[in-house]
Amino acid sequence: MNSTPTNDNPFAGDSSGIQQRETAARWGLRVGSYIVVLITVAIMLHIFVKGAPVVFRSQWPFVNTQFLTELPATLHVIEDQQGNHIETDVNGADAVKKKLGDHFRAEKTISYSGGGILGPIVGTALLVIVSVGVALFLGVACAIYLSEYAKHGKFLEMVRLAILNLAGVPSVVFGLFGLGAFVLTAPRFVGVPAERSVFAIPLGFTTISFEGWDTCVLSGGFTLAFVILPVIITASEQCLQAVPQGFRETSMALGATRWQTIRYSVLPFATPGILTSSILGIARAAGETAPIMFTAALAFKDKLPWQKDLPPLPADASIFAHWEQSVSRFLGIFTESVQALPYHIYTLAAKIPQNEYAERAQYGSVFVFLVLVASLAASSVLLRKRLRAKYRW
Amino acid sequence: MSADPTVKTTPPPVVQVRDMDFCYGTSKALFDINLQVEYHRVTALIGPSGCGKSTLLRCINRMNDRVPSARVTKGEVLVKGKNIHDADVDLTQLRKQVGMVFQKSNPFPKSIYENVAYGLRIHGEKNKNALDEAVERSLTHAALWEELKDRLQANALALSGGQQQRLCIARAIATVPDVLLMDEPCSALDPISTLKIEELMHQLAKEFTVVIVTHNMQQAVRVSDYTAFLHLGKLVEFAPTEELFTNPREKLTEAYLRGTFS
Repeated sequence: MNSTPTNDNPFAGDSSGIQQRETAARWGLRVGSYIVVLITVAIMLHIFVKGAPVVFRSQWPFVNTQFLTELPATLHVIEDQQGNHIETDVNGADAVKKKLGDHFRAEKTISYSGGGILGPIVGTALLVIVSVGVALFLGVACAIYLSEYAKHGKFLEMVRLAILNLAGVPSVVFGLFGLGAFVLTAPRFVGVPAERSVFAIPLGFTTISFEGWDTCVLSGGFTLAFVILPVIITASEQCLQAVPQGFRETSMALGATRWQTIRYSVLPFATPGILTSSILGIARAAGETAPIMFTAALAFKDKLPWQKDLPPLPADASIFAHWEQSVSRFLGIFTESVQALPYHIYTLAAKIPQNEYAERAQYGSVFVFLVLVASLAASSVLLRKRLRAKYRW
Repeated sequence: MSADPTVKTTPPPVVQVRDMDFCYGTSKALFDINLQVEYHRVTALIGPSGCGKSTLLRCINRMNDRVPSARVTKGEVLVKGKNIHDADVDLTQLRKQVGMVFQKSNPFPKSIYENVAYGLRIHGEKNKNALDEAVERSLTHAALWEELKDRLQANALALSGGQQQRLCIARAIATVPDVLLMDEPCSALDPISTLKIEELMHQLAKEFTVVIVTHNMQQAVRVSDYTAFLHLGKLVEFAPTEELFTNPREKLTEAYLRGTFS
């Protein structure tokens, strides 16, 4: 027999304060989560409120096409006698000044704040294409090796440690590495090695010279590839591991070689996941500033990468000559330095005097940048959702 | 016992395991195993969990090679008279001729047709007619052709558990192996599907040699011609099934069959 309870409730809680601690813990955690949400919303709202008016218009076509389709230019602001501010580009400024004669009070020029941001958008796109191409190839190869071939042991531990460390390297270090490795020493085919060539291997018809690729899309793309490599390797390895071991066993038991097994019954089922996570790699590559600062990015460039002056072909040029020039124009895209969105934002924010006109360009660029990255992330989530439904086992 | 009258002379055993020791790293899993598997017979491996029956089965097609540090430390395994650990043995050819069906049915998430054709494709068969023929023949052998002939392009994962396992059997016999290894093929199936696969096994034995691991003693009685009883990595008794179950020579076998195992 139990001792008689003092009241009618046999389940009454004791008064040791356990309830209070429980409440305190719950609220502590909840407040922490709310702060995170609040900060995210604050950033998004701030950028949206300041940036959306630059990009969107209240009239058809509702988008500031100039901002998205023109190259950055110096903005000229002329104040006339009535105190009106006239915004124009360098040619417009001359015309306005001619019209006003001496009747204007002041002229201000704000670098990079006029025109649009097509140059940076194109540059970022090119850098992303190169970096994701390189990182996917190296990353997937590495992941397949680690997951399917490598024996568990010291070496594998070392490789994993290296990947972990690579993920922890500050991005500016990657930038300096890219400067040293790709801009200054990477091998290229040349007729005559440059003065600064570190090492040259003559092949007869051409020479492999370790003289670097200069600052260009290729250098920047390769540097960015190494920044996102750890993300891609880790994600790819997880996707490969998620493919049931039974598929491998069955395939091997049917007499498939290891590579056949990987090719026909592992990779097809891991590819959706690998692609999905590499989209997140794209977002990361698009956003990095430091790695491209020394390797690819320019503060200002008045031409798109393919608008290069090539010698005009004679009128009777063969189709082959046309073809050759198109190819060299295409390849030339990757050996040009470019503007890039993150670096453009840095330039606008840190390299020019701040005023309302600069601020407008800043927020417009940031807004476009954010929309691009957010839509990449969203498409990654959507893709994952669709592919998960398709590939289930 | 379903002795096959067409076999007149006794050919040498298709699988011979001689004095074999097998280790996982430093721990020994199999001790001094001797086993002969006759052509066109069903041989069952029975024994309590962890006795090494699956390990023994996987020695026959060297699936244990996948496990690092696992190796045969003594003795030899001969398939069709050839030591399968010889340097000139091509693993892909060995596994083509020694097929395997696993405990968990694991069709690839591809079409039924592609599942069955997989083995032939990786061995370089490109002829569409040959593939079609092989798929039909294998599915017929696995008693699936009538059920599935109209939906060969359907995803194999849409099949029921029993059908999936029979599809795995069809996939394994598509390369026309001499020996078919089955690692508890019915342990995840309901009684009706189990019955179908057991019926199938008698049919399969006409074309192939079957080695089956099972934890179900009744199943061993129903399907097998020979039974090997393993305990703690040792082969305790190997005899014709009827003999082993009605008149076991070893005390240990008798105790296991009676269920009075200590």
